[in-house]
Amino acid sequence: MIEFKDAAVVAPDSGVPILEPTTLTLTEDRISIIGANGSGKSTLARLINGLVLPVTGSVEVDGLDTQKQGAQVRRKVGYLFTDASAQLIMPTAVEDVALSLRRVIKNRKERDDAALAALREIGLASKADVSVNALSGGQRQLLALAGVLACTPSIVVADEPTTLLDLRWRAHVGALLRSLPLQVIEVTHDLDSAARAERTLVVDLGRVVFDGDPKEAVQLYRDLMFGRASQGATA
Amino acid sequence: MITLLGIYRPARTPLHLAPAWLKMLMLLGISILSLATSDPVTSLGLLAACLLLLASTRPPLKATLKGMAFIAALAIMAAGFQVWLGDYVRALDLAGDLIAISALALAVTSSTSMAQMMDLVVRLAAPLRWILPPETLGLLVALTLRAIPEAAQILTEARVAARARGLERDPRAILIPSGARTVGFALQLGQALHARGIAEHGRSARAADREDRARADEAHAPLLAEPPVREAPTGETPEVPEPNRRGRRERRR
Repeated sequence: MIEFKDAAVVAPDSGVPILEPTTLTLTEDRISIIGANGSGKSTLARLINGLVLPVTGSVEVDGLDTQKQGAQVRRKVGYLFTDASAQLIMPTAVEDVALSLRRVIKNRKERDDAALAALREIGLASKADVSVNALSGGQRQLLALAGVLACTPSIVVADEPTTLLDLRWRAHVGALLRSLPLQVIEVTHDLDSAARAERTLVVDLGRVVFDGDPKEAVQLYRDLMFGRASQGATA
Repeated sequence: MITLLGIYRPARTPLHLAPAWLKMLMLLGISILSLATSDPVTSLGLLAACLLLLASTRPPLKATLKGMAFIAALAIMAAGFQVWLGDYVRALDLAGDLIAISALALAVTSSTSMAQMMDLVVRLAAPLRWILPPETLGLLVALTLRAIPEAAQILTEARVAARARGLERDPRAILIPSGARTVGFALQLGQALHARGIAEHGRSARAADREDRARADEAHAPLLAEPPVREAPTGETPEVPEPNRRGRRERRR
């Protein structure tokens, strides 16, 4: 369970609010977050695994405070970035997954076997020894996901994981995320994907302006965006 | 262009099977020997041995020849200078040493995985654990090697962008965006490390390590209900298994 208790974030230099005080309890298995660019949705997602810390209030994951128990929270919450390239550290696919396992499996042979098993689960076994630079964008995103899943998190936060992918890979990665037996929180601009969640949050100008049924959320988001576009056109 | 030169490729050659410490010791030993001796016959002998060792790792032919041609050009320039000074023996010795050490370094990097390198660095850095955690030092080596192709890619893209704007002769149009993007990449990489919980220290990290080890002792149940997902899509819609939420809930308990 994820609990936001009056959690707020401000820009470190200017003090401009990025996320207004937010109180939420997230228990559903599939939650989507939608909003315009710069609305604060990624900040909201990053608060969950302590990549961003609240300046006021707190965020707790299964009772663990992201401020005080950040490392423990990150073991529970896997995070998938938009650009998988930055998430991949080692030169080959199997080595990258094995890096995630270094702290738990000390024996290299066992670690490599576990990494290979994680790649097999996600359908990348044939690319195990391929350089990460030689993988396609979709394969890199899958590899990043394998690295996250290898640590057996109970929650995966995906920050626009399909934005840089073509239609085929978008469908594949989206379907894979939906199939995970974990709590998945997806920040997305893909409204079809957002509408398939159990619960959707709409973030606008640093505030959660809607929290509830995905279809209503998508409609509200469309109204917000097109209303603003028409205001801009007439101004 | 990101070259495949020196990138580890799994194989079962004698050099691949040799332990990393032995390969590093051999590299160090041969480097010292070739620099210490000024006998051209010894240099040519070492050169032949190093080239054979490189060939034994079965590296990618095109990338290797291209990379070695660059090293050879540098060696010829250095030797040419010695010839100009009238020292033919030194010219032969210098060129032989340069090519031999480069070939051996390539043979070592292309036959040693990053994990092996990291393990070696971690072992060597163990006495320094009070100053810097050995795992962090190992990771530092991995990150440095990881950053080289990325920096090369950023530089190439900045050059292309400068050319597109007609600014290919202005070094600022290449260096400033390259610098900014390299810093951006470093920040992204730092965030990714943070998000993956790699190289974290402190009380919370130690508590998390204990929990992790306890969990690792438990059976490693598959995450997906019907693994594996079919291999990466090639032209058809991939199949993805149905969620196994019940299984997950049982594991949570």
